[in-house]
Amino acid sequence: MIGDLLASRELAWRLLVRDISAQYRQSFLGVMWAFIPPIMTAMGLIAAKNSGVLNISETDLPYAAYVMFSTALWQIFVEALNGPVVAVNQAKPMLAKINFPREALILSKLGEVGFNFGIKLFLIIGLFIWFKIPVTASIVLAPVALIHLVVLGTGFGLLLSPLGALYNDIQKVLAMIVAPWLLITPVMYPVPQEGWFRMIVALNPVTPLLVTTRELATTGVLTETSGFWWSSTLAFGCLIFGWLLYRLAMPYIVERMSA
Amino acid sequence: MVSLKDSQSVGKATDIVSKSTMTDGDVLLSVQGVSKKFCRDLKRSLIYGVQDIAAEMVGLRDSCDSLRKREFWALDNVSLELRRGTALGLVGSNGSGKSTLLRIIAGLIKPDAGTIEIKGKVAPLIALGAGFNPILTGRENIYANMSILGLSKAEIDERFDDVVEFAEIGDAIDSPVQSYSSGMAARLGFACAVHTEPDILLIDEVLAVGDMRFRVKCYRRLSELRKSGTSFIMVAHNPHVILSMCDQSAYLNRGKLLIVGDTPSVITKYEEDLFLGDSENKKIDEESSGSLTLPEKLEGTSYGLDIMSLHWENSQGQKLKSLKTANSAALCVKCRSDSNLDDIFLTVIVRQAFGEGESVLNLSSEKDDCKLNISAGISQVLLKMPSCSLKAGRYVMKVYLSQKGHRILDVVESFYFTVENIPGMSQCLFHQPHDWLIRAASHEDDSRSL
Repeated sequence: MIGDLLASRELAWRLLVRDISAQYRQSFLGVMWAFIPPIMTAMGLIAAKNSGVLNISETDLPYAAYVMFSTALWQIFVEALNGPVVAVNQAKPMLAKINFPREALILSKLGEVGFNFGIKLFLIIGLFIWFKIPVTASIVLAPVALIHLVVLGTGFGLLLSPLGALYNDIQKVLAMIVAPWLLITPVMYPVPQEGWFRMIVALNPVTPLLVTTRELATTGVLTETSGFWWSSTLAFGCLIFGWLLYRLAMPYIVERMSA
Repeated sequence: MVSLKDSQSVGKATDIVSKSTMTDGDVLLSVQGVSKKFCRDLKRSLIYGVQDIAAEMVGLRDSCDSLRKREFWALDNVSLELRRGTALGLVGSNGSGKSTLLRIIAGLIKPDAGTIEIKGKVAPLIALGAGFNPILTGRENIYANMSILGLSKAEIDERFDDVVEFAEIGDAIDSPVQSYSSGMAARLGFACAVHTEPDILLIDEVLAVGDMRFRVKCYRRLSELRKSGTSFIMVAHNPHVILSMCDQSAYLNRGKLLIVGDTPSVITKYEEDLFLGDSENKKIDEESSGSLTLPEKLEGTSYGLDIMSLHWENSQGQKLKSLKTANSAALCVKCRSDSNLDDIFLTVIVRQAFGEGESVLNLSSEKDDCKLNISAGISQVLLKMPSCSLKAGRYVMKVYLSQKGHRILDVVESFYFTVENIPGMSQCLFHQPHDWLIRAASHEDDSRSL
């Protein structure tokens, strides 16, 4: 497995370059698409909050920065989650015809997630400077937590990808589930402190990873450490199990595709 | 007769295989008893897919030898060997499992039973231009495509110029592939694939791309590769391609490997089956012995001349069970006459047995202005054919004896017979007797003056 992973690096890189250059070459706004959605979301939410339509308790960061930063993190998770399913479906004609290391598809999608985040990083740095957000030394650990978040998304995605290649339903379910999932993740509001909603938010495995990343990058005060560890365990468990499933299932998926 | 011929050719085939085992190089590919089942029902097929994955995960996937509901064997116990530098043609009608076999060899799908051993790199030409992105330039696509085919960046750099030159893309290499003509894109795909320098190349009917000149170039490149030690497995419906490229061939029919052997004999067998229909029809062929004996006419139904039997015979007068294209034969109509009859005509109308009802031949002694005089008693009327022009197949014949004014004396509505194939008859509607020769140019004037 590790051997195949190493063997697929170069192909993954080629696929990444191919996909990204094709994506931006056929786009007028290009890189701007990485900035526009979080800014629009943030503007909408700020308007709602200021007009009193939304009743959101105080956040430890200025609300605009809070929402934009959190949305960027959430998008990374969603991209990682969709990655394997989308990659397998896009590459169907290739998969049906050529026997290349299948890991390359996943690696290339991960590279795309990283690339998109790299662009968003400019937005985040801009935010930090604009709102004069104090940064602590713990920011160097933030990428670690971020990787755990990506691992969680990829792990879930890998588990779904074999089924997703056979049935279109999986992609539809994924698209449908993301919106409610966002609502039970502290992206637009701070972590609730009490009540039944607190329970739901805490049971969501994305919560501790996303919150910890955010906290490491800003205040440095961690509130979800135990959650972080069980969620990380789940993430890596899913990744390894999902990878195994992905590898074993691939010949059976190819068999059910037309050549 | 047909079955006897089969077993002979199989015996011959195995002889050739074992002979070449001794002389040729190492075995690159060994396929042993490979079987694969498929399902025709999409919904069910997907469910089976999920089941297989689940079984594979828990490691309980061993009961593969039974078919589930609506499944069939796409490949059934196929065994093959391929040696370095040899080319194997794969023939068979549509749906006989050729592509499935190639996909299993390429490692894309797992066989349900049997094993495959491969030494070396396999490049599938099933996939021309796989992974081409229409928006990117030819240059970028070459890198992407050849990476997918398993080359490193350094190796691609090395071959890049050769690929561009071979594909004859020229300046268009830096334009997006979507602006290419379909021929250009196919050329680029082919160029990428053949420059990966694999040990085994799987070619699945992709050579029908590009114009004639490029096709010729492709074949030349393939034979170069073969000289340098690459082996091929080639699927093509055009027998000429197989005949010219492959020294050995395998014939698949409904997932079963019928024969492996030297290409001409395999192609002949394949074409015979193709034109004669399936093995079920062949049973009928065996039963019909190429002759027809008619029951005696009842009292009062005869018009004075009765056909007793029909059969084919060769020039020595021996009965034939079937005809063979390009060989001589004669139809013998045995008849009994009550009295001496003059000016009798024999008419023979031949149609394809499972055809559209058009007559293939309509021969009549009346049209030929040839009057036959039949004396009282039993006599035989012969229709001699110096060279049978019919191609292989099942035919049905209507025969009647008549007198002037279309006064029919006796008629046989359907006499079934078979024509056997000879090599080189594919894409021919009928057999044209012919010869080839070379003449010095100076003779031309002489012949003109003659």
